[in-house]
Amino acid sequence: MGGQACVFYGAAQVSKDVDFLILAEEANFKKLHAALDTLAATRIAVPAFDPDVLARGHAVHFRCSAPGVGGLRIDIMSRLRDLACFDELWMRRTVIGDADGNEFHLLSVPDLVQAKKTQRAKDWPVIEALVSIHFRENAATPQAQWVDFWLSEARSPELLVDLTARFPAQTAGVLVSRPLLALALAGNLPDLRAALDAEVRAEQDKDRLYWEPLKREMDAFRRAEREEEARHGAGN
Amino acid sequence: MMAKAGAGHRGQSCYLAPVRIEDWPDEWQEWVALTPMERFRESEKIFAQYIALGGSLDPDPDPTSPFDNPSEWNSNAAHGRAGLRVLRRGAS
Repeated sequence: MGGQACVFYGAAQVSKDVDFLILAEEANFKKLHAALDTLAATRIAVPAFDPDVLARGHAVHFRCSAPGVGGLRIDIMSRLRDLACFDELWMRRTVIGDADGNEFHLLSVPDLVQAKKTQRAKDWPVIEALVSIHFRENAATPQAQWVDFWLSEARSPELLVDLTARFPAQTAGVLVSRPLLALALAGNLPDLRAALDAEVRAEQDKDRLYWEPLKREMDAFRRAEREEEARHGAGN
Repeated sequence: MMAKAGAGHRGQSCYLAPVRIEDWPDEWQEWVALTPMERFRESEKIFAQYIALGGSLDPDPDPTSPFDNPSEWNSNAAHGRAGLRVLRRGAS
C-alpha cells in the first residue's frame, strides 16, 4: 500500500520496505503469522503484534531474515486515518498481474493519495506525482469520477489551472469542498501556491492530532518493554 | 530511500516544484512511460544494486514521522545516517 504501490504507479523508483494493509480477522492473522514465519520476520519496534493494537491505528514493524529477503522491513497496518474500512478499500483496489500469474493488490490511486496525507514532508511530493501521473494516463478519456479526483487532489498549480480551464462545470461542483480552485480558475499562481501550502499544513495538523494519543501509547509500550527486559535480566 | 518523481522543494514550500510531467527530467519521463509491471521489475534491479553497494535497509531519519525513533530502528546506523554502517565501535 505504501512505497511499493508508488513504484507500480510511477511516483517512486524504489522503496526500502514493504507496507501491508491487512484484514483484521482471526483466520487472516493465522495466515499472516505463517507468512511471517516463512520470511523469518521478527518484530523490531513497538508495538507488539496484536489485533487490538492494529485496530487502534498502530503499525507493527518487522525485519526479515530468510534467505533472499534478509534485512527487508515489513510494516503491517489494519486501519488508516480517514480511509474506509478494509472491505471497501479491497473492493476498489488495483490488481496488477505478471506473465507468471503473480498478482499484486494495491490500494487504488485515490485511496493511496488519502493514505499519503500524513505529517511526513516526504509524502506530499509523492501525492503530487501520483495525481499528475494518473491525469497523464487517463486524460484522453476522462471519466467524471476521475475529473473530480484530479480537481480534488492535484497539487501542481499549473495542473490545477489546466484542469479548471478544461473542466469548468466539474470545477464548480468541487469548488465548495476545495475553495482554492477559484484561484486556479483566475490563474492566480502566487496565491494558489500559498493556498496549496496551507492545505498541506492543515492536513499535517490533522495527522499529528490523530497520532498524538498513538505516540503516547507507543511511549508507554517502550517503557513497558524496557521494564520487562529489566525484570527478565534481573531474574537471570 | 524512496526516490520520488520530480521531487524538489522551493524554499519552505511543501509541494513540488511546479512543473508538468512533460517538464520532468528525461529519466523520469522514461520511468513514467513504463507499464506498472515494468516499473516493478526495474525497481527490483535498482534495489538489488543498492543492496549490492552496501545500502542500508534502516529507515532514513525523519523527524516528521510518528515512527521516528532512531534508537529503536537504526541499531546498525552510524550517527543516525541510514547509509552508513558501523564497522567497529570505539569506546565513545
